Amino acid sequence: MSIKRLLSKTETISLCIGFFVILVVLPFLNAFFPENHPLHVSAFTLTLLSKYLCYAVLALSVDLLWGYTGLLSLGQCLFFSLGGYALGMYLMLKIGPRGQYHTNLPDFMVFLEFPKRFPETGGLPPHWIPFQHFWFAAAAVVWVPALVALIFGFLAFRSRIKGVYFSILTQALTYAACLMFFRNDFTFGGNNGLTDFKEILGCELNAPSTRRALFIATGLLLLGSYLLCRWLTITRFGKIQRAIRDSENRVLFSGYATANFKLFVFVLAAVIASLGGALFVPQVGIINPSEMGTDKSLEAVVWVAVGGRGTLIGPILGAIGVNWLKSYATHSMPEYWNYILGGLFIVMTVFFPKGIVGIPGQVRALHQRWAATHETEPAIETGMVAPVIVANPEEKP
Amino acid sequence: MIERTNLNPQHKEFILTLEGVNKTFDGFKAISALNFYMDTGELRTIIGPNGAGKSTMMDLITGRTQPDSGRIEFGKNTDLTRLNEYQINRLGIGRKFQTPSVYIDHTVFENILLSLPGTRSVWEALFSRVTPAQRDRIQQILTTIRLQDKGEVKAGTLAHGQKQWLEIGMLLAQDAKLLLVDEPAAGMTDEETARTGELLLSLAGQHSIIVIEHDMAFVRQIASKVTVLHQGTVLCEGTVDEVQSNERVIEVYLGRKHEPKKTL
Amino acid sequence: MMITDGFGFLKRLTAVFGRQFCLWLAMSCMVPNAQGAEPRALLVEAMTTNDLSAQIALIQKLTDSPDPLIAQALAAWRQGGVYLYDAGDNLKVPFLLDANADASGKSRGIQIATGESIKDAAGQPLLFLPSDLTAVDTTSKLRKAIKTTLDVLALSSPNSNFRRDAASKLGQAQNAEYLPHFEARLASEKIPDVRKALEEAIAITQLASDKPEVRLAAVKKLGELRSIPALDLIIKLEAAAKADEKAYPSGMAAAAAGARKIIEQHIAFGTFIGTCFRGLSLSAVLLVAAIGLAITFGLMGIINMAHGEMIMIGAYSAYIAQNIFVKWFGEGTSGFNWYFVAALPLSFITAGLVGVLLERGIIRFLYKRPLESLLATWGVSLVLQQAMRAIFGAANVQVYSPSWLSGNITYADVTFAYNRIFVIGFAVAIVVFTWLLLTKTSLGLQVRALMQNRQMAACMGVRTDRVNMATFAFGSGLAGMAGACLSQIGNIGPSLGQSHIVDCFMVVVLGGVGNLFGTVSAALGIGVTDQVLQPHFGAVLGKIIVLSAIILFLQWRPAGLFATRGRGLEG
Repeated sequence: MSIKRLLSKTETISLCIGFFVILVVLPFLNAFFPENHPLHVSAFTLTLLSKYLCYAVLALSVDLLWGYTGLLSLGQCLFFSLGGYALGMYLMLKIGPRGQYHTNLPDFMVFLEFPKRFPETGGLPPHWIPFQHFWFAAAAVVWVPALVALIFGFLAFRSRIKGVYFSILTQALTYAACLMFFRNDFTFGGNNGLTDFKEILGCELNAPSTRRALFIATGLLLLGSYLLCRWLTITRFGKIQRAIRDSENRVLFSGYATANFKLFVFVLAAVIASLGGALFVPQVGIINPSEMGTDKSLEAVVWVAVGGRGTLIGPILGAIGVNWLKSYATHSMPEYWNYILGGLFIVMTVFFPKGIVGIPGQVRALHQRWAATHETEPAIETGMVAPVIVANPEEKP
Repeated sequence: MIERTNLNPQHKEFILTLEGVNKTFDGFKAISALNFYMDTGELRTIIGPNGAGKSTMMDLITGRTQPDSGRIEFGKNTDLTRLNEYQINRLGIGRKFQTPSVYIDHTVFENILLSLPGTRSVWEALFSRVTPAQRDRIQQILTTIRLQDKGEVKAGTLAHGQKQWLEIGMLLAQDAKLLLVDEPAAGMTDEETARTGELLLSLAGQHSIIVIEHDMAFVRQIASKVTVLHQGTVLCEGTVDEVQSNERVIEVYLGRKHEPKKTL
Repeated sequence: MMITDGFGFLKRLTAVFGRQFCLWLAMSCMVPNAQGAEPRALLVEAMTTNDLSAQIALIQKLTDSPDPLIAQALAAWRQGGVYLYDAGDNLKVPFLLDANADASGKSRGIQIATGESIKDAAGQPLLFLPSDLTAVDTTSKLRKAIKTTLDVLALSSPNSNFRRDAASKLGQAQNAEYLPHFEARLASEKIPDVRKALEEAIAITQLASDKPEVRLAAVKKLGELRSIPALDLIIKLEAAAKADEKAYPSGMAAAAAGARKIIEQHIAFGTFIGTCFRGLSLSAVLLVAAIGLAITFGLMGIINMAHGEMIMIGAYSAYIAQNIFVKWFGEGTSGFNWYFVAALPLSFITAGLVGVLLERGIIRFLYKRPLESLLATWGVSLVLQQAMRAIFGAANVQVYSPSWLSGNITYADVTFAYNRIFVIGFAVAIVVFTWLLLTKTSLGLQVRALMQNRQMAACMGVRTDRVNMATFAFGSGLAGMAGACLSQIGNIGPSLGQSHIVDCFMVVVLGGVGNLFGTVSAALGIGVTDQVLQPHFGAVLGKIIVLSAIILFLQWRPAGLFATRGRGLEG
C-alpha cells in the first residue's frame, strides 16, 4: 500500500512536522542543551509530554471503537491498565534488593507475608515468575488484554449487546476488575499497585537517556497506531466498520457476520490501549487500580469527544489538549477542575458533537443556512442547530 | 383454501415454503397458522392492513425472529428457522427494509461495493482490493438504478426515492435469488413509482421477488399475483382483480374504514 | 445560614447525649443514699493514690454505688477525662469537665468529691480548656477494673439494652463474684430479653463452678436457652468430658453434646433468617436506588449517569431538613424526631427540580442520541459532585436517625434494625406507588404511550415535552427520596452517588427495560445472591461474582429477566 493512497497530502505534511518535533527536535533539545539554556527541554517536560502521548494512544483506541464502529466502550482503561500491570510486573521484579526490605521479593509481597502463602517459590506467586523476562512481559502486554477482550467481546457480541447496554456492561466489567485489583490477595499490590521501579532492560529509569528513549518509543507507538488506524479506515474492513456504526442491520442483512468484525476491532483496540499503558507505566512510575476506575475510562471518552470522534487527529489533539488543561487546572485551581471537565462533557456533547475538528464544518454549515434564510437570527440558530446534527438515524425493520 | 387447490406442493418446485407458521409476541398472535408457497422466478405482492403480519413474515424469513412453530424452507430442504440473518443472506435471500437503510456515511459506489458477492470474512475485508470486474459490475448496477452519475456522492445526501433505489441496487449487487422488498414505492413521486415498477418487472424471472405494498396502482402496474394477509394468516390469493372483488377483502379494508380510493 | 457547621453540630449532639446520660444516672439514684459521700471519697482516693493494686481494690468497692457521679467520673477517667486541680497545700482535687463547653471550647470543672464546680477565690467558676490539662493516668489493668465496675453498675441501668449487654459481658468473665449481682437483678427484672441474658450469664458463670451437679445443670440450662455465646465453652467441655470421663460426672458429655446440637441448630436457623433479612434489606436499598433509574432509563431511554447524584441530592436534602429541625426544635426533642417525615418530600422536590433543570437544559437535546446523553449526564454528575463538595465539604456529613428509626428488635438472636425494616417497607410502598401511577393515572397512560410510540403519541395530542419533563422529574424525585432513605443507613458524602450507580444500572439492565416487575425481581436476585455469597467469599469477591454472573446471564437473555418483546421495541 503506497503512502499516497494511505495519507492525504496535508495529512502527510502535518504528520511529518508533528512527529519530527516529537521524535527528533524535543529529544535533541533535551540532550544537547545545558539545563539553564532557554532552549533546553527538561526531562520533566519530556516525561509529561510522554504521558500525554500515551493517553493519545488510549484515545485512538477509544475512537477506533466509538468513532468508527459505534461501540462506546467504557472499559478501555481496563486494557490500558492491564498493559501497564504486565510491564509493571517485569519492572517490579527488576528492583531486586534495592527495595525497602532489601530482598529480591517486591516490597509489597514481603509486607503482605507472601513467603507464607507461596513457600515453595520463596514468596513469589507462580504466575509472576515468567515476568522476570522482558520478552514474556512484552508478550503479555499483547495477549492478556487481547484474551480478556476476546472473551468479553465474544460473549457480548454473540448475544447482540449493543448501544448503551454495551457501554454499561463494559463499565461493569471495568468496575469488577477494579475491585479485584484492589484486593491484596489478588497478588498485584492491592490499592498501592506497583511502584518504585528502578530499571528497564538494564538501564536506570531515571537516567536522562532512558527517559529520552522512552519518549521516542512513545512517539513511535503513537505514529504506528495512527498509521495502523489510518490503514484500517481505507480497507474494505474500515468501510464495513463504519457501515456497522451507521446501519448494523443492513450489514447483517448483507451477509456479514458483524459480531466477528466488532470482535476484531474490540480486540485490536484493547491491544492498542494496552501498548499505551505499557509505555505509560515506566515513565509515570506507578500503576494502581484507580487507573482502571470507571471515571478514567469516561475521561478518555471526553478526550475523543473534545478532539472529534470519527477522525484520527481529533483524539490525539483532544488527549493532549485536555490533559494539558488538566495539568494546568489541577495545579493552579484544583477545585475547579471537576467543573471544567464536567462542563467539557456537557458542552461538547450538546453543542459540538463533532469536536474541535468538526467546528469549522459546523460553522460552514451554519453560515450556509444563515445565508439561505437571511432573516433568521443567528443567535437562535446556534442554539437550535447544533444539537440536531445527528449521524445516527434509527433504522426500522 | 385457495392455495391448497391451486398449488399442490408435490408438483411444483417452490423457492420458498412456509407451513403452519406461528409467532406470538407477548400474547399477541402476529402470525397464525400461515401457509405460503412461492414459485421460482415469481413476482409476488403481499398486501394487508396494518398489523396483518407482513413485516413479521419478512422477519421470520430473514431470520430476524424465530417462529414459535412451523416450517420455513428455502428451495429444497434448507431449513431457515435454524439460521441467523447473515447465514440466510448468504443463501441468496436479500431484503430491502421499509425505511431505506443505506450506509449514509459511504458513497453510493461504496454502498454497492460492500454488497457485492464474495467471501464475507474479516481477513478478506482487510486485504482485498477492488477488481476492475467489480468496478464494471458496480457501474452496471448504478446504471440500472439510474444513479450512474452519483457514484461518488455520499448516500446520506440522496433524495428519499434515490435511497430506495440504492437499496434495491444493493440487493441486486448481492445477486440474491429471492428478493424481499418492503414498500419500495413509499415516499416516491408517481414518476419514480412507475420507474420502480418497471425495474421490479425487469428483474422478475431471473430473481424471485416478494413485494409488500399498500399502493394498489403500483400493485396493478407490476400485475403480479397478490396474497392478502389478515391477522397473521392468508385471507386470499389471486390476481389484482380477483382480490379486489373478493368480499372478505373488501370487508377487511372497508369494514375498517380504510381509504377506499385505491382499493376500489 | 441554615446549614450549621458539621463539627459544632456534632459537639452539641454529644452534649445532648451527655445530658441524657446524666438523666438516667439521676433516675437510678431515686432512693436517697445516706452513704453517698463515702463512695465518692473512695473514688477520690483511688484517683489520687499511686498504688495500682490499691486503686483496683478501691474501684471494686464501688460496684453497688447508685451515685450517678461515680459512674460518670469512672467513665471519664477511663477515657482520660479526669484531671487534678492543685488547690494548694499539696491538695489535689480530681475533677472532670462539664460537657457544655463555651464558644472557645472552655468548660467548668466539676469536683468529683462534691459534684460542684471549682471556683476561684472570688467564687467565680473557673474555666478550663481540655488541651491545657493533663489527665489522671490510667493503666490498661486499671481501665479494665473500671470497665468491670461500670458494667456491674450498668446491670441496674434504666436502659434495658445496657442491662442486657452488661449481663452478657459479665457472664463471659465466668467470675463467681458477679453471681449475687446477677441474681439480685434477675429477681426484679421484667424484660424477657434481659432476663434471658441474666440467666445465660448465671449459667455461663456456673459452668466454671467446682460443683459437678451445678455444672451439669448449667450445661442443660444453656442448651434450653440456646445460648450462642456459650457454644465455645460447651464444645470445650464436651471434648474434655469425652477425653477424661472419670473427672466429670456421668452424663456430662451427653448433656454437653445435646446442648451443643440445640445451639448449633439455632445458629443455623439464625444464619438463614439473617441472610434472608440482609438480602432483603440490600435488595430494598438497590430497589429504592434503582427505581428512579428504571423510570428514566426504562421508560424514557435516557442514560442518566447523574442518577447517583440525584440520590446524593436527596440525601443532602435530608441533612438540611435535619439541621432546620435542630434549629427549630433543638436536638433530641420530640419535634426533631419528625424531621425525617419532612425530609422525604423535601428530597423528592429538590431532586425533582434538579431533574427538571437537567431535562430542560440538556437532555431534551439528546433524546435521539442515547450514547451522548450518557456522556453529558456524566459531566453533570461531575459538576454536581464538585458543587456539593464546595457547599458541604469533601468529608461525609452525619445524619442522625430519629429515635423511631434507631434501635432494633432481636428475634432468634438475629438483630433486625428498625432503619433496615423501614427501608424494606419504603421500597414496597414506592413500588406500589409507582405502579399505581403508571397504570391508573393519565400521566402514566401518556408515559406508556410515549414509550411505545413517540411519534404516534405526539400525533394523538400527547404533549411529549411536558410528559418527558414530568417523567424525568418523577424519576429524579424518586432517586432523591432514595437518597433520604439511604441517609438513614449510611454515610452521606459527595461520592455517595458513585457508589450506587453501577449497581443501579445492573438492576435495571438485568430486570429488562421498561418493566417494573423485572426491576423488583432483579433487585431481589442481586441483593439475595450477594448476601448468600458474602459469608463464603467476602464482600468484594461476592460483588465481583455477582457482576460476572449478570454479564453471563445476559448471554442467555440479552434483554434481561422480563423483556418487553413488543413489536414497537424491536431493532
